[in-house]
Amino acid sequence: MIQIQNLKKSFRTEEVETLALNNVNLKVEEGEFVAIMGPSGCGKSTLLNIIGMLDNPTEGSYNFAGHEVAGLKESQRTQLRKGNLGFVFQSFNLIDELTVFENVELPLIYLKMSKSERKEKVMAVLERMKIAHRRNHFPQQLSGGQQQRVAISRAVVTNPKLILADEPTGNLDSKNGIEVMNLLTELNQEGTTIVMVTHSDRDSHYAHRVVNLFDGQIVTESQNRAIGATV
Amino acid sequence: MIKNYFKIAWRNLLKNKGYSIINVGGLALGMAVTLIIGLWIYDELTYNNYYGNKDKIAQVFQSQTFNGQTGTGPAIPLPLEPALRDGYADYFKHIMMSSWTQDSYIKYKESNISRPGNYMQPIAPEFLNLEILKGEKEGLREINSIMLSESTANALFGDEDPIGKVVKISNQYDLMVTSVYKDIPFNNAFHDTDYIIPWDNYVARWEWIRESLDNWGNNSFQLFVQIADNTTFENVTNAIIDVKKNADEEVEEFNPRIFLLPMEDWHLRSNFENGKQVGGRIKYVWLFAIIGFFVLILACINFMNLSTARSEKRAKEVGIRKSIGSQKGQLVYQFLSESFLVVLFAFVVAVLIVLLSLNGFNELARKEISFPWQNANFWLISLGFVLFTALLAGSYPALYLSSFRPVEVLKGTFQTGKYSGLPRKILVVLQFTVSVAFIIGTFIVMQQINHAKNRPVGYEKEGLIQIPTFAEEFSGKTDLMRNEFIKSGAVIEMATSSSPTTRIWSNRSGFTWEGKPEGFQEDLAWTEVSSEYAKTLNLKIVEGRDFSREFASDSLGVLINETAKRYLGMENPVGKFLKDSDEEDPNPPLKIIGVVEDMIAQSPYEPVKQGVYVYDREDNFSYYNLRLNPNKSASQNIAIIERVFKQHFPDIPFQYEFVDEEYGEKFAAEERIGSLSGIFTALAILISCLGLFGLTSFVAEQRTKEIGVRKVLGATVFNVWNMLSKDFLKLVIISCFIAVPIAYYVMNGWLQEYPYRVILKWWIFALAMLGAMGITLLTVSFQAIRAAKQNPVKSLRTE
Repeated sequence: MIQIQNLKKSFRTEEVETLALNNVNLKVEEGEFVAIMGPSGCGKSTLLNIIGMLDNPTEGSYNFAGHEVAGLKESQRTQLRKGNLGFVFQSFNLIDELTVFENVELPLIYLKMSKSERKEKVMAVLERMKIAHRRNHFPQQLSGGQQQRVAISRAVVTNPKLILADEPTGNLDSKNGIEVMNLLTELNQEGTTIVMVTHSDRDSHYAHRVVNLFDGQIVTESQNRAIGATV
Repeated sequence: MIKNYFKIAWRNLLKNKGYSIINVGGLALGMAVTLIIGLWIYDELTYNNYYGNKDKIAQVFQSQTFNGQTGTGPAIPLPLEPALRDGYADYFKHIMMSSWTQDSYIKYKESNISRPGNYMQPIAPEFLNLEILKGEKEGLREINSIMLSESTANALFGDEDPIGKVVKISNQYDLMVTSVYKDIPFNNAFHDTDYIIPWDNYVARWEWIRESLDNWGNNSFQLFVQIADNTTFENVTNAIIDVKKNADEEVEEFNPRIFLLPMEDWHLRSNFENGKQVGGRIKYVWLFAIIGFFVLILACINFMNLSTARSEKRAKEVGIRKSIGSQKGQLVYQFLSESFLVVLFAFVVAVLIVLLSLNGFNELARKEISFPWQNANFWLISLGFVLFTALLAGSYPALYLSSFRPVEVLKGTFQTGKYSGLPRKILVVLQFTVSVAFIIGTFIVMQQINHAKNRPVGYEKEGLIQIPTFAEEFSGKTDLMRNEFIKSGAVIEMATSSSPTTRIWSNRSGFTWEGKPEGFQEDLAWTEVSSEYAKTLNLKIVEGRDFSREFASDSLGVLINETAKRYLGMENPVGKFLKDSDEEDPNPPLKIIGVVEDMIAQSPYEPVKQGVYVYDREDNFSYYNLRLNPNKSASQNIAIIERVFKQHFPDIPFQYEFVDEEYGEKFAAEERIGSLSGIFTALAILISCLGLFGLTSFVAEQRTKEIGVRKVLGATVFNVWNMLSKDFLKLVIISCFIAVPIAYYVMNGWLQEYPYRVILKWWIFALAMLGAMGITLLTVSFQAIRAAKQNPVKSLRTE
């Protein structure tokens, strides 16, 4: 599903050029659950953003489901991203002015889905995430765990092929964190590919494979023994 | 999708009530100003729209040159009409002679009212597109007929049927009402024409008119034409331009040129300068259009500034939407629909403001503008106006906000760059440049009006009234009435005059005098007065003496003003003569007995015209001038005068005018402009300040933590206030330096139109600048001090 070859990303600030990713090669198969780990500033979020098509690589090739992404314009990237990708952020990133229902509905609106269909899908995913009873609340009226469940609902409502999670448990206590990880695992077991950036060893154990980044390069890749292991 | 946008927009409005009030309120104010100006401009541009064939109607004008100075006006000589009818029939569909609009008493049974109206040729009902309500369309066929406007007929007859009834005009002659026509709407020429009497009646009634029938030199009439369908005004003008010059060699030396002024130009472009058409009211249309546009821009700038200033708050939403699948175009669209919603909301408020203020505005602007609820065009234009404003206000924020990069805003590394505030600063500078320029402009207009008002008028206008005496009954009774009025104790002196004190109705030429240069073409303001004119007005005699009843020879005497003394080139004018230049049948020569101080009878902005005050031998007067008894109140005096008047003229309605009020009318146009621009300036400043207020509170909010840290480190309230105010004050000072030269340039140009004008002083500009800075500090301080006073512990904890 994802094939990255010799990928480089550099940032320029006035005189200094920083190499955030250096010759990264990565392959993610469909249905895989991959965790990316590494110390702060090693480039893991940059890599995730590039995989998420929020950012363009400076050099190298990125092939997503048969499409070459590197060098695409923003509007083309948006087009490719729509419906294929779901994002889960550390800080949830819900829109404060929209209710739970409306937040989850948003990606479907951008897919120009009919109203009745939207309602059906949103309700289904909210039920599944056990947050349907809070559908008319605004994000600020929810706990962190509930907010992240809404964010995950929003990420999966379009049935994306790939979910990108950027430290999804970073702002949660351990109980809520575990709940979120279980949800992701469940989704993975149903066939969704997941790429997750994390600091947490515990969370990385949920993944099939852990990729370790250091100074913009992949240093080790390790296969977890049990697929879908629970801790 | 659009619903989703509106939902977010609506919730954003509710969530940030303070900003919303500033945003919607500022926009609504700006839009209200633009709307009301738009209605005013529409009213001006649709003047004369009542006349369906507006594009074919014209008035015949004439230019003549005296001593190299070309004067232009609508007054034409009588023989011009037959000359056009006979020689140029193909060029015209209609030709219509008309008198000037004049007040007459119309009497029926007990009611006797004074109304303005005209004597016109029988084509008038068709020419003026009159809507006949009662009686016949061709109501002017019989010489003794009269057509009345609906309101006049109602005032005279009440419920009675006016058709066939006989009315008495000016207590002199009887006319039969043949038709009643619907009043011509306010916004049209001839709106004042409340009666129409056949032109032939006018000619039959007055000897001087009959004498003018073949006189190309007496320019005392009006001629209106509707040109033939297959020609243009220009063609007709080209054909008739020399008709007068070729007809009479006596007038040839003044190079008379006859031309058409299209109806389209009557209202807005009727000013002439040395023979050239130089616009007119159209300049006010432009002035207000510019003001309206700028006020709208000011309001839009508020919207732009507040929207982009709050961008951080919206940045996250932009990032999320982009990561979820929104295109940049969709975001632009979203923010535009948001601004559309705000603008639409503001428009509704603006319409309310306009409805509430329309009466006051009409009073101020002397208009009868009504809100055009039923005009589909108005709503279409309004929709366009809302869209235009939404685009103007919303496009910059939309482009700015939608260009945020999701990676940055979502990771929290988003920072508005070092120069991201620059466009905002430029916009604030623009706002205050406009405001300061408005302040200076208004100052100068007011100053000029005061300057002209304080100009010495040359006579004592307070405690002086004038009574119109247009009826025949007044003849031969001047001395009697003077005695009666003085005896009554309400009046200390009285004199008659052929023009009101505040006007010159007659100008004459055709004189010779000792030392008159060869070929000099004189033009003298001509007023016929009774002996006590100077005494009544308190007009100062500077040379020679006043008229005196003791010298019978004074009936051929004349007083001249100081300008006339210079104009005639006389060192010692007293005792010299003004002789009639007609050698065959001369009027007796007039002996100059004295020189009076110049008095302003025409424009207070122009030099006084050379004038002569001639003893009135033939009762040609039109006004009684009465100097009221200063020891009684004006109302007491008026009551007594009315009683005396009624004893002698029981059939004539008692009318009077205070001369100082009439004089005040001369400033009406400028005062209207002054007060309107004053109001618009105040609103412009208010709108700019609203924006500034919003920006300050935003900056204060944004820097809460910084202020907290500074306070912990020992900053005083003053330090913080100083820090926050300084930035804004700097911008306003920059604005001042841009506004001053622009305002100087524009206002100096405006003042050049007035020969008698105020001299621009530096302190006007300084005052305006200080004013603007003062207002800025006041606006900024409220928020700055509030922020400075906050407990730093609290502001630091919010992190």
